[in-house]
Amino acid sequence: MLRTTLAGLRLHKSRYVTTVLAIVLGVMFVSGTMVFADTLNANYEESVMGSATAVDAIAVPPEQEQTGDPAAEPAEPARLTDDQLDHVRALPEVAGADGMVQGQAVLLDDEGRAFGYTPPAALALGEVTRFSPDEGSLPTDGTEIALATSTADQTGFGVGDTVTVLDADMEEREFTVSGLVNFGVDPAFTYGGALVLDPGTLEEMTGTTGYAEIDVVAAEGHTDEQVAEAVAGVLGSDAEVSTGEEFGLAMAEGAGADTEMLRTALLLFAFIAMFVAGIVIYNTFAILIAQRQRELALLRCVGATRAQVFRSVLAESVVVGLIASALGVLAGVGVGMAGAAVGGPLMGMDGGVPVVLTPVAILTGLVVGTVVTVCSALVPAIRATGVAPLAALRTSATSAGLEKGTGRVRVVFGLLAFAIAAAMVASTQISGPDQTGPFVVTGAALVAFVGVVVLGPLIVRGCVRLVGVPMRRVGVASMLAVDNSTRSPRRAATAMIALTVGATLITGYSVVSASVESTMTRQLDENFPIDYQITPQFTMEGTSAPDADTGPGEGAAEDVDAPPEAEGTEGAGGAEDTEGTEGTAPESGEGSVPAAAVEVVPDSVFEDLESEPTVAVVSGRRNAFVETEDGRFLSVNTYPGFDAEDLGLESTAGDLADLGPGKIALPEDDADGTGIGDAFALPLEDGTEVSLEVVALLDPMMSMGILLDEQDFTEAFPELTGNDAVMVRGTDDADPAELREAVYDAVDDHPTLQVASMAEMRGQLSEMMDIAFYTIAAMLGLAILIAVFGISNTMALSVLERTRESALLRALGLARGQLRRMLSLEAVLLCLIGAGVGIGLGVVFGWAAVEATLPNAMLSVPGAQIGVFIVIAVLAGLLASVLPGRRAAGTSITGALASE
Amino acid sequence: MTEPIATSVPTVTSPPVVVARGLTKTYDTGASQVHALAGVDVEFHRGAFTAIMGPSGSGKSTLMHCLAGLDTATSGTVHLGRTQITGLRDAELTQLRRDRIGFIFQSFNLLPMLTAEQNILLPSQIAKRAVDRQRFDHIIDVVGLRDRLSHLPAKLSGGQQQRVAVARALLNAPEVVYADEPTGNLDSRSGSEVLSFLRDSARDLDQTIVMVTHDPVAASYADRVVFLRDGRLVDEVTDPTAELVSARLLKLEA
Repeated sequence: MLRTTLAGLRLHKSRYVTTVLAIVLGVMFVSGTMVFADTLNANYEESVMGSATAVDAIAVPPEQEQTGDPAAEPAEPARLTDDQLDHVRALPEVAGADGMVQGQAVLLDDEGRAFGYTPPAALALGEVTRFSPDEGSLPTDGTEIALATSTADQTGFGVGDTVTVLDADMEEREFTVSGLVNFGVDPAFTYGGALVLDPGTLEEMTGTTGYAEIDVVAAEGHTDEQVAEAVAGVLGSDAEVSTGEEFGLAMAEGAGADTEMLRTALLLFAFIAMFVAGIVIYNTFAILIAQRQRELALLRCVGATRAQVFRSVLAESVVVGLIASALGVLAGVGVGMAGAAVGGPLMGMDGGVPVVLTPVAILTGLVVGTVVTVCSALVPAIRATGVAPLAALRTSATSAGLEKGTGRVRVVFGLLAFAIAAAMVASTQISGPDQTGPFVVTGAALVAFVGVVVLGPLIVRGCVRLVGVPMRRVGVASMLAVDNSTRSPRRAATAMIALTVGATLITGYSVVSASVESTMTRQLDENFPIDYQITPQFTMEGTSAPDADTGPGEGAAEDVDAPPEAEGTEGAGGAEDTEGTEGTAPESGEGSVPAAAVEVVPDSVFEDLESEPTVAVVSGRRNAFVETEDGRFLSVNTYPGFDAEDLGLESTAGDLADLGPGKIALPEDDADGTGIGDAFALPLEDGTEVSLEVVALLDPMMSMGILLDEQDFTEAFPELTGNDAVMVRGTDDADPAELREAVYDAVDDHPTLQVASMAEMRGQLSEMMDIAFYTIAAMLGLAILIAVFGISNTMALSVLERTRESALLRALGLARGQLRRMLSLEAVLLCLIGAGVGIGLGVVFGWAAVEATLPNAMLSVPGAQIGVFIVIAVLAGLLASVLPGRRAAGTSITGALASE
Repeated sequence: MTEPIATSVPTVTSPPVVVARGLTKTYDTGASQVHALAGVDVEFHRGAFTAIMGPSGSGKSTLMHCLAGLDTATSGTVHLGRTQITGLRDAELTQLRRDRIGFIFQSFNLLPMLTAEQNILLPSQIAKRAVDRQRFDHIIDVVGLRDRLSHLPAKLSGGQQQRVAVARALLNAPEVVYADEPTGNLDSRSGSEVLSFLRDSARDLDQTIVMVTHDPVAASYADRVVFLRDGRLVDEVTDPTAELVSARLLKLEA
């Protein structure tokens, strides 16, 4: 029996080409991801281990390495002292030890502005250190500086360049870059930037003393563990001591977590690709079984049992699956290597690291590919056992007639699925935006997809009937295409659904992406119609903290701080908060830095800007937090210089224009039941209260907290005299370049001030969204390619089935071109239905997801992108029909007519 | 049986519609060459119903395919009217088939997804030709398909399917209709219906019909029977009867 199977496979191998290709692509994705992630991981591990194992023991103050988040570091980190270093050095197990001093210093870029949202870490390294320069040398005196390679890349500085660093008093000091240090995956240094100074100079510049880390080298004859133990004994609870290897492993784990996330994300797309491949395989086997009814019946006639027929089909799928998976693994290794070579450096990988091939990666590919193939062939195999021996005697080899209509059960089941999906979406709309929303919507989309699968044949027939009316008029080729495409609706539906998967996901994502972008752009435009925002650079050390005593603590500050951010007053930070999918970009540090660390924008800047002719409005922002009796924190704000209408806020009750001395506007949820005209008691931190008249209530989702008049704010918080942000709006006819110059002129004397242009911010936002979109589209592209193979395969097998028919048409005078056009149109029709259903689902569920997540979302359907999808669907159809069309048109008429 | 002779006499004198001269067709099967046609000279006149007969492998189907431009001859010429069809390119042959030739095949004559009417009208649609409704109605009534027009082929009997094929072949009044074993798959009653209809249309509509068959009864409906053996024309009978054709055929096989 096996021999028959294999002989059959050899005979029909051309029928499996596209199926094999589909599996190969899916498996390639899976094993490519594994190889890429493994290689990346190994590389991280190597670079981390390389630096950490350069020393034998590492002691850090306990708080230091608790989290990998640079922003979460406490304002006043514990340090190790010289005494402690001396104790360590005195140990008999220790050959040498040195401390690393870590402070912060402002580095100016080539335009003279401060680099980064936070100043980079300023380090001083001793003789014994786990870091070594990648290029050049470490600074040896007060004229030299070494930069982190990441910082050098971002600023464009290289060895030999002169750079300017500001000291604690904001005095400029020039250094020559002597070397570059690769801090590898250490997030504290790589994201925020780092520079290395000579120890004396660092202390002089930043005033920092004490060590953030002590690196120890073991004396001869002592193991790392012994040294670490000894050091731990000396330092006691003042430090956490680990061996170099342990330290490296801990760091690698942190870096590895990123790799694992990447791996999971890629595998998710690989899963989608494999799912689509599974649909394609199922359809291929189903068609092949239908076409081979006679062959199978003959086997039954000569005595094969049902079980044998079943096994034969399964064996066939195992062979196909294994061969295709093996090819896929090979291709995957290639792709993984290419990925590591091209994508590696982007991920902070050193070049030239060998590709890691784990048995797991290879086995995963093989097993996934084979199992998916066999499972997909299971239903067709079961169907094959139903072939009666008598079928061999029938004249028609294949079911030349039309498939039976769609059963009533099917219709009911399908409609039920749609109803459930609709109910789920409706429930998210009623309950309003919350965290579970996206999950419910995803679940609804899955249920609706099941509905599409169940009703697929009906959908195909319905769509074809609709577009068939005009198409029939066009010409005989399109008329025949219309009729052909409904001949086996189930087959067509399965081929179409494979495409629907990809189309739904891409459209859904594009709707979400476009809606998020337009919602945020609108918020930027309407709520803060400003052109520039000037903020101080955040420092983590709190050198001056005028509002330190009002700060209600780190965690609460973040919570209360969140609403204003969501308004887009702080661009990038707001983007991340609202969208919540954009990972942890370094800029997000801004949002989580405690309010205590905020400096103010000097008043001179404010005054300079007010006198500029191109500037229409200059406004400050002052913010304070007060604690209510029941322990809630209220964000209190005033915007000196801004009129109420300039804020672009909409009140749900009352009128913001009434805001003035003695008045207050507050978010509904802070109002505690007070209405317009009522008095609101605002608690102050000295325990007293101030009573203000409520003039407006604000939508809590949109507001920036409580609004006070400047006068009341100053009375309530007399110590807060500086603006923590200054916002600038140009006159309507201002030349953008002039306005920009005016703003930069005003901050020229204050290099640490951060200037954010709303236009740039909008540009960055849309660029970021575009990159995310194209990345995801590229990932889903493979699933779509596989689906196109599936459609091509379905077409090819149908063409095979219709060989005689094609010959008849040719004999009746259909030109080769018309025959090809007929097939092209059929494929295009299929692709368009598949894409159309996908686009429909994508728009509906993309919209539902946006509505369920984003408050006050603005639905935006990206028409241009959807247009592109449709064009791609048409092209895919044309592509899918090329080979089948050639085959059909190339067949000799007489040969085809003669063959039974 | 005198009338057929009376009407067929003038057709012999009318110019031939299809003329083949020195037609050969050689298949290369690796080691040996098979001469399917080894020099055939034959003419078919307007309004004549001719049957091509011969034992299996005599080359009768190949001859028909070459005459119809479905297959290319190795050497020799075929003329349809004034057009020499040997040597035409595929596109020209396609156009020729579509405009000037009708076909009836043994089986699989109809497209399963089209109704009887759509099948009949298909060649006109391919050629973007206006349909002569009068001729359509006439033909439909003659073949008796009026109440079956909206049926799919799967719902029609074998005889009805073949009648649809005949109607399709005749609708455009092609210069010649080629029928390849048109009754091969039919029971004798359905077969005789189809054959009578073919004979009548040759007479009444002045239609040239060339039929390949191995059935002496089917051949007896024709005005003339030509016999083929080993790729050569070996015999010819006018006004055949089934007995006469059988006898000649037996002689050939011997």
